[in-house]
Amino acid sequence: MLKTRADKIFWAVLAAVFLGGLALTELVANEYYYTAIYAILQATIMAVAWNILGGFTGYVNFGSAAFFAIGAYTAVALDKWLGLPLPFLIAASAAVCGLMGLGVGYLTLRLKGVYFAIATLAMAIVLETFVTNWEYVGAARGVYILTPEKVPFFRSYIQLLFVVMLALTLGSIAISRALNSSRIGRGLAAIRDDEVAAECAGVPTLRLKLISTTVMGAMMGVAGAPYPFFVTFVDPLSAFNLFVAVNAIAMPMIGGTAHWIGPVIGALVIGGAQEAITVTISSELNVLVVGLMLVLFITLAPQGIVGLVQKWMKRRKR
Amino acid sequence: MVNRRSFARAIIAAGALAFAAGALVSAPAHAAKPLKIGFSMALTGGLAGAGKAALIAMEIWREDVNKKGGILGRPVEFVYYDDATQPAKVPGIYTKLLNVDKVDLVVSSYGTNEIAPAMPIVMRKKLVFPSLFGLAVNDEFNYDRYFQIMPAGPEPKTDWSKGFFELAAEQNPKPKTVAIVSADSEFTLNAAAGARQNAKSGGFIIVYDKTYPMSTTDYSPIVRAIEAANADIVFVASYPPQSVGMVKAAREVGLKAKMFGGAMVGLQFAAIQKNLGPALNNIINYDFWVPEPTLNFPGVKEFLARYQEAAKGKGVDPLGHYLPPYAYAYLQVLEQAINATKGLDQGKLAAHMHKATFKTVVGDVKFAKNGEWATSRTLQVQFRDVKPNDMAQFSGPGKRIVLYPKAWKSGDIVYPFNQ
Repeated sequence: MLKTRADKIFWAVLAAVFLGGLALTELVANEYYYTAIYAILQATIMAVAWNILGGFTGYVNFGSAAFFAIGAYTAVALDKWLGLPLPFLIAASAAVCGLMGLGVGYLTLRLKGVYFAIATLAMAIVLETFVTNWEYVGAARGVYILTPEKVPFFRSYIQLLFVVMLALTLGSIAISRALNSSRIGRGLAAIRDDEVAAECAGVPTLRLKLISTTVMGAMMGVAGAPYPFFVTFVDPLSAFNLFVAVNAIAMPMIGGTAHWIGPVIGALVIGGAQEAITVTISSELNVLVVGLMLVLFITLAPQGIVGLVQKWMKRRKR
Repeated sequence: MVNRRSFARAIIAAGALAFAAGALVSAPAHAAKPLKIGFSMALTGGLAGAGKAALIAMEIWREDVNKKGGILGRPVEFVYYDDATQPAKVPGIYTKLLNVDKVDLVVSSYGTNEIAPAMPIVMRKKLVFPSLFGLAVNDEFNYDRYFQIMPAGPEPKTDWSKGFFELAAEQNPKPKTVAIVSADSEFTLNAAAGARQNAKSGGFIIVYDKTYPMSTTDYSPIVRAIEAANADIVFVASYPPQSVGMVKAAREVGLKAKMFGGAMVGLQFAAIQKNLGPALNNIINYDFWVPEPTLNFPGVKEFLARYQEAAKGKGVDPLGHYLPPYAYAYLQVLEQAINATKGLDQGKLAAHMHKATFKTVVGDVKFAKNGEWATSRTLQVQFRDVKPNDMAQFSGPGKRIVLYPKAWKSGDIVYPFNQ
């Protein structure tokens, strides 16, 4: 695992961030910070997941909100049915959404480019209609989740959620990095650049695409699973919110889609800005900020922040 | 030589010094510490129209209170954030209000979906939580410091349509069959569920019971299906766009039902009333306040005059009969409770709010054990003599006659609906 120096640094940083997060729960009692960071972490997982298919493989998915919501509703249903603890719910959501991702993967056999994007959007609408009529999880009425007042090891439930989310985020980043820098990642890049050429060169395109969509789906499900416990009230309209999908696309685009760190940077920058703007100016401005940044980056810096930095470093070397 | 980095540092240090000095100079001599009330409000997004109207009403209340010298001698301040009608934003906003802004009191945003996500946070801090137009939020939480101002009554789901079915049962000959039609959404499904119970207990036969998606645009097939089912009375639970669609379709198709209406949200708003005009005539629908003489509570007329002045050009309901008086009243309740208990002890406040009767612009308010009104005042009003293209007609009495409850009745029913 620790083959190169870069590997060692990466894992050291990951461990440091996680320990830093744990230390934070000991030092800071103010719940607001956990709530704000939770939202950013959730956005980070979504962005990292989207980028595996959208950035590495080149298939644009507009249906992120569907994976997220199905993750959330899987957790709701299992919580209600069996009362499973959170880690099991997260695993179950990952499994369900991974399978959903696999299904989407088979779609890529027939659909490419714009048509694939439209199909994912349609899938989101179909699933939303399904959940809107699924009486067991509250249907259109929505469903309440009661979180325990006392949790072991932590001062409050939001601290627990924060630590869980931090671990999930770091895990997602590690998976994304492993995919990006492995044989699979090179195969995905080949598909992104020219699928037919890749197939001719012996890249097992279908298998790789299926891996890519499954991992993406599972990750998004993981991001959605703790959401009901975070908001305590879920209804289809808020779970299938278009904003979830827009953020999941905008963050990697702004951060940079080619490198695994891109969506992480994008999510931290945009997510952080959004949380700050919500409490300083107005929530609606969020959408405007994301939209403007998206337009700016796509026209002026299509490689995203990572691309800008890479360009700058190259120039300095010269 | 001063290089660029140390120059930048010097600038930042100078800036920080200036800021600190400014803060010291501008510190007030010793004013009474403001009493901060925190809340989130839907100022953008789907419920923005209502949220902004509520905020105007709340600001009128703040002005009134501060003119009287504040509460407990402290000027009242609001700390609020826009939740953009997104439930996911609400937990963050309330934790910030309580942990960073350190507000003294919290009140709710508007609407069930925006209230519920704040509940666990408010409950953990054991705060009194006056709330604005939530439907049965406390059924799940059973929080004894939750007080909801919408007069739907202790059992809001069934109380909502009770009047509608009681009115139907009084008619001679008594109508027999019912159609229940509802949009696929939180409030409308609850209202339809309540209607189903009331229909059954009233001895009606349900001949049509369906839901339709929120995005429906053509309502005539639905109305034709109801017509084919031959229902005597038609109970509709809908949100504003669908309410307009249903009323128009009912008129186009020439629905022959004897009663039509029930739980249609939107028919309380001046803009929609003007838009639908005479198509509204004889519809019987729920409402919470109308300018009928029986509901002329002390202060409400003055409040509405000020609201209407403040609402001009803000894109909110120009008459403000539906929500604004209640947005004013839920703060009045809080104010009166603080003044009566002479402090901010949340336990004492809650105890007082459970036992006292509050005099507000929406009349006397008394809470039941679950924090809803002790007795329902969900009105059933009938549109009468509505003329086309005239908004001003709705500001006075005679256009929306209160039929139910009997205590507030201002006229007799016109029956059947289609005549």
